[in-house]
Amino acid sequence: MRRLLVALLTVFLVAPQALAQDARAPRMGPPRTTVVPGPNKPAETVEADISARSLEVTTGFTGHQIVVFGAIDNSQAPPGSTGYYDVVVVLEGTPFPVVVRRKSDVGGVWINTSSITFSSVPSYYAIASTRPVEEIAGPVVLERHAIGFRHIKMTPSAQYAGTLKDYEIAGFRDAVIRLKKKQNLYVIKPKDGVAFVGRSLFRSTIPLPANVPVGPLVARTYLFRDGEVVSAHIARVTLHRAGIERVVHNFAFLYPGSYGLFAILLATAFGLVASAYFRRQPG
Amino acid sequence: MNIYLPIAEMSVNAALLLGMGWAVGFLSGMFGVGGGFLLTPLLIFMGVPTAVAVGTGSMQILASSVSGAVAQYRRRNVDVKMGAVLVAGGVIGSVIGVQLMKILREMGQFELFVSLCYVTFLGAVGALMMIESVGSIRKNKSGQASPRKTGQHSWVHGLPFKMRFHRSKLYISAVPPALIGAFVGFMAAIMGVGGGFVMVPAMIYLLRVPTSVVIGTSLFQIVFVMAVTTYLQALQNKAVDVVLALLLIVGGVIGAQLGAAAGARLKGEQLRFMLAALVLLVCLRIGWDLMIKPADLYSIGPTIGGGS
Repeated sequence: MRRLLVALLTVFLVAPQALAQDARAPRMGPPRTTVVPGPNKPAETVEADISARSLEVTTGFTGHQIVVFGAIDNSQAPPGSTGYYDVVVVLEGTPFPVVVRRKSDVGGVWINTSSITFSSVPSYYAIASTRPVEEIAGPVVLERHAIGFRHIKMTPSAQYAGTLKDYEIAGFRDAVIRLKKKQNLYVIKPKDGVAFVGRSLFRSTIPLPANVPVGPLVARTYLFRDGEVVSAHIARVTLHRAGIERVVHNFAFLYPGSYGLFAILLATAFGLVASAYFRRQPG
Repeated sequence: MNIYLPIAEMSVNAALLLGMGWAVGFLSGMFGVGGGFLLTPLLIFMGVPTAVAVGTGSMQILASSVSGAVAQYRRRNVDVKMGAVLVAGGVIGSVIGVQLMKILREMGQFELFVSLCYVTFLGAVGALMMIESVGSIRKNKSGQASPRKTGQHSWVHGLPFKMRFHRSKLYISAVPPALIGAFVGFMAAIMGVGGGFVMVPAMIYLLRVPTSVVIGTSLFQIVFVMAVTTYLQALQNKAVDVVLALLLIVGGVIGAQLGAAAGARLKGEQLRFMLAALVLLVCLRIGWDLMIKPADLYSIGPTIGGGS
């Protein structure tokens, strides 16, 4: 029993190193038939990738489905067993500062009366797992890895320290999650979010809505056993503007003066051409 | 067909936008108004960020008023000197409005301010128009011609910096037209409207500009002030979406032609009555949204001026 505990401990200690050195790790290990992990068996690791390296947001962009797929190396799951491992995939967008405002009734009119700035809120956050994450691991583990809406890292800007009570900050925090969920930017797929294909292959389909903010998305894949993370892997996909959408956006933000003049010329030209066209029409 | 708007950063149905532009164009062609007071609230209801709705609105108004202004100029219905004074005031008003908009956005009170402006102006103008049109419909029924007061002097004529406006046959101070222009320019920047519905009555009743040159001169002012406002909105607030504007312009131009034809078959008082009803409806709708408890008390947005 003591030997087993030592073995488990080594697994936990080795796992982060395996994560850091995943490029060196073998792509696919030989299938193992061992039932009980022994002290000499190599630790199980997870590797994952995304169906695309980069996605283009063009004028016709209406959202996209991306697939995160991967495999468990050195799986020690007994043959035929299910639920020996749990896999959680977290797809997270770039963190941005976000202002949250709260309205209250001021003389019959609803006015923004209080606000808070969170210095970094993931622009997008999708979570897919083999089971609901609360069943997979305890809150301490989930908090450490920022898994699940309740554990998204969101820190209020320093100026609010002391001025707002904890429950007020929690109210603002919940509002961010609720509103982001409403915009389909925070997505949860607890049931069959990650499905195993055979013994060690798994895949997960994650929907990106049309309003997903551009920038890099990071997919963190966690391998769980007995409520603990045994291995993790990081993959990236980048959303970038393309086509007319990119040209217009860059024009507007990089050369706002010229863009303004262009808008004036365009509007004037359209107005004149249209009126000239309709004047020639009978009636 | 869905289209991704590059500045509003949202995906919307292109046909819906064309249809909306068409409907607003139809109504504005029928009533002879700019339609900004309809279009901007509609865009906001659709979910376009308020700032982008206002900024893009000014570009759309520029396109829809430029042809009218050229036509009026050809018919010599523009008092260029009066127009220049109105434009000078309008530019100052617009600069102030765009600056104020930036400050209000940072404070998180921009949406509220826009709504309050809409409720106030639409409520006042709609009520006045309603009273006037009902009055003239009654008079027409009883067979009386409405007497038009001309040549009366008011406090306006006692102010300094008098200028001679030949086309308007007026010798008045430049201060009132400049103030009217400034006020309209300010509204244009904050509310995304042309402001014709304030400027035309103000010119007729306060300045006593002859009716023949009022429309042309007001369009002249709107074109220049809208051009300046579009430029400032693009420069300072990055709130002009050309893709959105183009769709609205195309729909609007077609709608305006049909609307003008439909409007020609209706009597002036009836048109004014319908327009007043429409204005009051928009006012009530916006006022209602301010009064009822919002579905969610919280709202989120990016921090303005801090990157994004």
